[in-house]
Amino acid sequence: MKKTTVISLLVLLLGAVIAIGSVSFLGPCVHEDGSFGACHWAGRAMLGIGVLLALQGAVALFCRDGGIRAGLMISSALTALLGLLTPGQLIALCGMATMRCRAVMQPAMRILCGAVLLISVIGVIAERKRTGEQA
Amino acid sequence: MMLRAEQISKQYFRRTGGANYFHAVKPVSLELQPGTVTVLCGRSGSGKTTLLHMLSGLLRPTEGRVLLGETDLYALSDRELSQLRNRFIGVVPQGRSVLDTLTVEENILLPGTLYAAPDRREAAARWMARLNIEALAQARASELSGGELRRTAIARTMCAAPDVILADEPTGDLDDENTALVFACFREAAAQGAAVFIVSHESDALQIADRAFRMDAGEMNPL
Amino acid sequence: MKTVSLALRNLLRKPGRTAALAALTALLAFSVFGGSIVVRSLRHGLDSLESRLGADIIVVPSSAQSKVSFQNMLLQGTTGAFYMDAANLDRVREVDGVALASPQLFLASLKADCCSVKIQVIGFDPETDFFIRPWMEESVSRELGELDVVVGCKVEAEVGEIIRIYDERCKVIGRLAATGTGLDTAVYCNMDTMKTLLQAAEAKGVSHKVSSGDSDEQVSAIYVKVREGCDIGEVNSKIQGHTRKASAVRTKSMLTDVSDSLAGISSTVTLLIAAVWVLALVILLIAFVMIANERKREFAVLRLIGMSRGMLSGMILKESALCSLAGGLIGILLAALAVFPFTTLIETSLGLPYLRPETGVIVTTGLLALAAAVGIGSLAASWAAFRLSRVDPGTVLREGN
Repeated sequence: MKKTTVISLLVLLLGAVIAIGSVSFLGPCVHEDGSFGACHWAGRAMLGIGVLLALQGAVALFCRDGGIRAGLMISSALTALLGLLTPGQLIALCGMATMRCRAVMQPAMRILCGAVLLISVIGVIAERKRTGEQA
Repeated sequence: MMLRAEQISKQYFRRTGGANYFHAVKPVSLELQPGTVTVLCGRSGSGKTTLLHMLSGLLRPTEGRVLLGETDLYALSDRELSQLRNRFIGVVPQGRSVLDTLTVEENILLPGTLYAAPDRREAAARWMARLNIEALAQARASELSGGELRRTAIARTMCAAPDVILADEPTGDLDDENTALVFACFREAAAQGAAVFIVSHESDALQIADRAFRMDAGEMNPL
Repeated sequence: MKTVSLALRNLLRKPGRTAALAALTALLAFSVFGGSIVVRSLRHGLDSLESRLGADIIVVPSSAQSKVSFQNMLLQGTTGAFYMDAANLDRVREVDGVALASPQLFLASLKADCCSVKIQVIGFDPETDFFIRPWMEESVSRELGELDVVVGCKVEAEVGEIIRIYDERCKVIGRLAATGTGLDTAVYCNMDTMKTLLQAAEAKGVSHKVSSGDSDEQVSAIYVKVREGCDIGEVNSKIQGHTRKASAVRTKSMLTDVSDSLAGISSTVTLLIAAVWVLALVILLIAFVMIANERKREFAVLRLIGMSRGMLSGMILKESALCSLAGGLIGILLAALAVFPFTTLIETSLGLPYLRPETGVIVTTGLLALAAAVGIGSLAASWAAFRLSRVDPGTVLREGN
């Protein structure tokens, strides 16, 4: 398997984990009375970011143009950066560190988005190298 | 330097089949003079390779001595013998002997890098050109054909400019054209002062031989 | 090309083989580093609890529930509200051998607006307190005034922020250092503030009265320090006899419960690490033997061109050391990613004091884990190296022609 294929596939998979995780095993606090805290909306934002990342990975996977792939990787890196900042910085979470949104969702999303960011940057470098070799 | 074998023999122990010991090589004496090509013919299983391994310091004879100049190979420590083999004895073994993880050029330069030796890149380029593998210099060994691997192994031996060259069926997987090329190379090495010993079951080798022997059931006789 | 660079090339140009070996050592480093950090954090948490408690005896209401509730409050940060007659405080003070006795008053908030979770509010008496003040002095410079609170490190409220408890606006004037215990999730105030809060709670229909008592005054717990030279057990039973509807608990016995569960978890973790190691060592040995067989010819060629046995063994060992070093680093990185960001999750699921050890301890543990991974990789390889260097190259070169 080519390096760029692996990278696109990883972005797709991690994006899917973020999206699925944000509404299930990595999701925000669930309140017994059905009410929502701020963290609920942070979880929703992560769902969107995860889907976006997965789609970017999927498009990059089937895209043959190296330039477009590099562009997609830049975009997924920036999206991951947004995901990194969303829970806690851009959207508030609950006030107690022991709550699920802080104990599970925030660290998990940071690790996943950090990984996507790293992989995307490697992807951009790999694409640049490839196009450099062809030129 | 001259390589001399004094009454060397090799016995193996067999558990089954009558006699417990059998002589792979019966006592034999041999002198490989600098500047000469010696060819040893014989059927497979007659003990040719065993003799070559004993001469190269890879296989300790049951009896007898192997001397390089005045040095008894098997009286040396492993470290000393290894270094001596690296410096003075070039062996082209049967079958694959090129490292897959290295390129052709790296393979050829490898012996020179084990111990501090002068840069051999020029010699490597020359021998690669001579053996028609210069275009493959940067190719990985795993990408080569049998004939190319064989020529890489020969170039590796030649590049080190050893005093003694021991080649075991060096043309086994080569076509006629390359066989002639390789034999010419061995002749050239002899002309530069190396003692060359070729084990072959091909009669072509006899054409470049100064001396020729035949091995039959462990017994070596002049041809 | 020195043997190191040859070893490096062998590793880089057989990425599949290298990755498989590195993955095994990564698993080793992961298990030993992750496991050790968890165990050390638990121990650090227990030490922290021990040093924070500072009291020899704690007196709580005698109902069975309140004792459990108190312990859970300390260890897991669950909320608790139980009360006894404040006259018990004077009774405790009368007991011979009691050096200090300080009351605390508990209140569980309703959902605070910040996080829709109940918060434990602990009121203490700054005059007599010897439990919270030393801890507070580490991070808070001024005295607590009316409706001033300090918060535990796990309550996400900044200094200067207003938090509402039963609609009373309380000002956060400080955040406390982490203890790794349930105390980190509580909010602290003085007794006056506490009384205001209790009244506010009552106004909301949450009653905090003792069912029957001599006076209106009430306390939740009394922290007792025994005079030096006095037998704590003796003082404990005296207090027990002297107070009403209260039971005196020796902090040591409470800590023993915690250290017992800690010992249980420690031995489970150690057992798991040992199992992973035995398994990985066996797989590593098999892998090295298989690789050695596969590479026999390669090594015979190296001997042929003049590598001594020592050089060959050295190269094999260098290969395995480099590979295990890479694997070990990856394993430690992954373990760090699994353990450190999820500290709170681990703490709440274990229900025990859990405090991240100091950086020095973490670094040392990491280095030891790395050394262990490299060591075990080299050990497995050295066996293969020994066997290979003894193989007769002549015989190998004849095989498989």
